[in-house]
Amino acid sequence: MKIIIANGTHEADFIVKKFKKEKHQITIINSDKNFGDYMSSSNHIPVLCGDPTKAYVLEDADVWDADVFIALSINDIDNYVACITAKKLFNIKRVVSVVRNPKRVDLFKTLGIDSVICSTYLLGESIKNESILEDFIKTISIENEKIVITEILIDKEYLLSNKLIKNAEIPSYLNISCIYREPDVIIANGDTLILPDDKLVIATTPDNHQNAVDFIQRKELNNGA
Amino acid sequence: MKKNKIVVIGSGRLGASIAAMLSNEGNDVLIIDKDGTSFRKLSDTYSGYDVIGDATDLSILENEALIKEAKEVIITTDSDNINLFIAHLCFHIYDVPKIYARFSDTDKGKLIENTTIKAIYPFILSLEEFMNMRGEKSS
Repeated sequence: MKIIIANGTHEADFIVKKFKKEKHQITIINSDKNFGDYMSSSNHIPVLCGDPTKAYVLEDADVWDADVFIALSINDIDNYVACITAKKLFNIKRVVSVVRNPKRVDLFKTLGIDSVICSTYLLGESIKNESILEDFIKTISIENEKIVITEILIDKEYLLSNKLIKNAEIPSYLNISCIYREPDVIIANGDTLILPDDKLVIATTPDNHQNAVDFIQRKELNNGA
Repeated sequence: MKKNKIVVIGSGRLGASIAAMLSNEGNDVLIIDKDGTSFRKLSDTYSGYDVIGDATDLSILENEALIKEAKEVIITTDSDNINLFIAHLCFHIYDVPKIYARFSDTDKGKLIENTTIKAIYPFILSLEEFMNMRGEKSS
């Protein structure tokens, strides 16, 4: 993949080292000449010194048709402009922006940034998942929240408990991807038996997420099943 | 909500002059800048509102700058990137009927194609003025 990394300091260095191991083609644009020199010498890749919010700098860096453009500066607005310029003028397939202000995560997505990453936002989501829901349900969203992955602990009173998946009348809007039964991970199929204290990992769409959770947590008999 | 205000973002020389002119014409004008001392550039005849705040913050843009009531917005901060971001917000999120933004870098114009945002480029205006002056001299 052709990956462009615009600005950033230590996180840029970390990402470059990771991607380089995976043999991706990396281009670095950094407006800080000293850090650019360090990146160049420590990673043995060319660094273009310049402001990635300027179209002529992106042109000099030959970013055309790159697969991913990642903007890592500490200024949210600069990251937005760099990403929009890359996407609209240079046909970059996917643009990723880091933001400091968590209120801008959804806003930037609405304005056309494919992925927006905010450490404060992620921290908030982690705390919410870890503490408030007390390990019963953990949820993450991927592909810009089009897919919801949920982990649900099976209580012995649930209808699904002690049932084979093929007999559980699983609705079409949810998929049981795997089961965590300490210490093993079981890839679920029709013959898998669901046991109390299993952690089911299910995939749904956001619209059906609540229905899926309700289905897994049913306790009373339904339609004589 | 009735859209009857003109909002000027950035109280530099250009923003403050535009705000004063439109206010003197009888328009309901509001000017916002994150630096309160910049309102010194407003003329004594200015009778609109002045608000201190960062217009890239959505809550300030909505609650202090009353962007949802704006029929026109003129964006003249000294940063092209901020001007572009706010112009995109006004177009994509708030549906402001008329949006004007100042850009030093003419390449920013490519990022407002297919929108109703109109750009003011001091570089082009200066160049045109120079060519006019030169033409007058030689004629």
